[in-house]
Amino acid sequence: MTDLHWMTAAQAAQAIADRKLSPVELTRVLLDRIARLEPRLHAFIRLDAEAAMAAARAAEAEIMAGRPRGKLHGVPVGIKDIIDVAGLPTTCHSKILMGHVAAADAACVAKLRGAGAIVLGKLSTHEFAIGGPSFDLPWPPARNPWNPDHHPGGSSSGAGAGVAGGLFPLALGSDTGGSVRNPASACGIVGLKPTYGLVSRRGVFPLSFTLDHVGPLTRTVADNALLLEVIAGHDPFDPGSAAAPPGQYASRLGRGVRGLRIGFIRHFHETDLPADPEVAAGLEQVAHSLRQEGAEIRDVSLPSLGEFGAVNRVILQSEAWAIHGPWLRERPGDYGRLARRRLLPGAFIAAGDYVQAQRRRLEMIAAVEAALCEVDVLLCASAMDPPSRIEDAQETERTYPRQARTPFNVTGHPALAMMTGLSSAALPLSVQFVGRYFGEASLFQVAAAWERAGGTAARHPPI
Amino acid sequence: MAMDQATIELLARRAGLDKALAAFPEDVAAAAAQAGDVVERMKAPTDPRAEPWPPMRAGNGR
Repeated sequence: MTDLHWMTAAQAAQAIADRKLSPVELTRVLLDRIARLEPRLHAFIRLDAEAAMAAARAAEAEIMAGRPRGKLHGVPVGIKDIIDVAGLPTTCHSKILMGHVAAADAACVAKLRGAGAIVLGKLSTHEFAIGGPSFDLPWPPARNPWNPDHHPGGSSSGAGAGVAGGLFPLALGSDTGGSVRNPASACGIVGLKPTYGLVSRRGVFPLSFTLDHVGPLTRTVADNALLLEVIAGHDPFDPGSAAAPPGQYASRLGRGVRGLRIGFIRHFHETDLPADPEVAAGLEQVAHSLRQEGAEIRDVSLPSLGEFGAVNRVILQSEAWAIHGPWLRERPGDYGRLARRRLLPGAFIAAGDYVQAQRRRLEMIAAVEAALCEVDVLLCASAMDPPSRIEDAQETERTYPRQARTPFNVTGHPALAMMTGLSSAALPLSVQFVGRYFGEASLFQVAAAWERAGGTAARHPPI
Repeated sequence: MAMDQATIELLARRAGLDKALAAFPEDVAAAAAQAGDVVERMKAPTDPRAEPWPPMRAGNGR
């Protein structure tokens, strides 16, 4: 039998529903593992073990009484610490918000609870979802379970480290410039930035209103679809929320890719930001494998990563300045150095430049929409390099922007990052798939085909 | 176009960043340089009539 800590959420939920697994036992096993590995991984800002055990006991009682709550009844989940959980602090991993206790659950957390999930606690992030791995904050940065000397990606760092490390099977992160897909790439798991507006951001501390997304991190594609089915849906209290019909995201997982047209955006990693050879080889392997499974692979061109990146930065830093300006004026020393440096540029961007970025953005959306008229799904790089050593600030600074994730924050298309394999140094390498608006089911279909072919779901860090 | 030190200080003070300027002058200078760099790298829209609104709407999936 699978070790309980490597059980997928789908397996655990089924076993619990069938009364073959006690949620109390599962939660206890995970809490024991957290106690053992947390000193090395630093995935948590705040572990709420007592509340988690109480919720597990309540779930067990409900299930035994024949009152199942939903798809995740009894399954533990971790929450990035920019997302509100009622009664717990939302610190955003920052001294600025220390002691700030959330009065209510974020909309996505309320949906999780409604489905019966058990909240384990709040997870490490880069400060305000924008700093980097910092050592000048009240809590240490999370570390990569494949090798704790390495960066787990960010900003949803604790989510990536905890899911990959077998501390919990599911986590919620946020993604403004790639912050779900980066840790998914660095930790060898599955991370989805859904279509803009598909998952409510109510109760999530904002970084950039028109770029922010909430997304799931999991060890398998099926779990990612399962978690998305729970958290997706219209929220009239989120002004960016889309009035989209609920999707059957797991409906095509086993269908394969025969007949699908997949556009390979080679220039992202070949000329815009030339990738590490092992990353490039992994992408070729994925394309080759999908072709062998019956997909048609054709080359596709989009605006350059440099252009996408500039538009993303102008929008992100302008909107973030609107949020952080008052604190940056009064308490600049309460930010870590990295977050301060990444938030201050907004003070120097003119209003006209922000408007230009939004105008240019609409042209970029049109370019991606045109490409997706010709193909069903896009394939491209996520990270251009394996994860850097966490204490090598220079290397982290060099590799951090070498990625192809921000284009799809700019355009709002759904994008999923997952493992292609391991580097020669035994660190995860990654690929990204991008779909049409609300086309998450197609993304999962392609991702599941690669997961089967590449055997990625069975690969766990030796921790 | 790179900003000179006097312009950076002027803009920083206008933005109310006197404390940051006093305690973290290097961070303020780096931020100004970064802002200038990203704005310079951004291409203008090709159509002068292009509107910025709505900034982000994915539709309704139908």
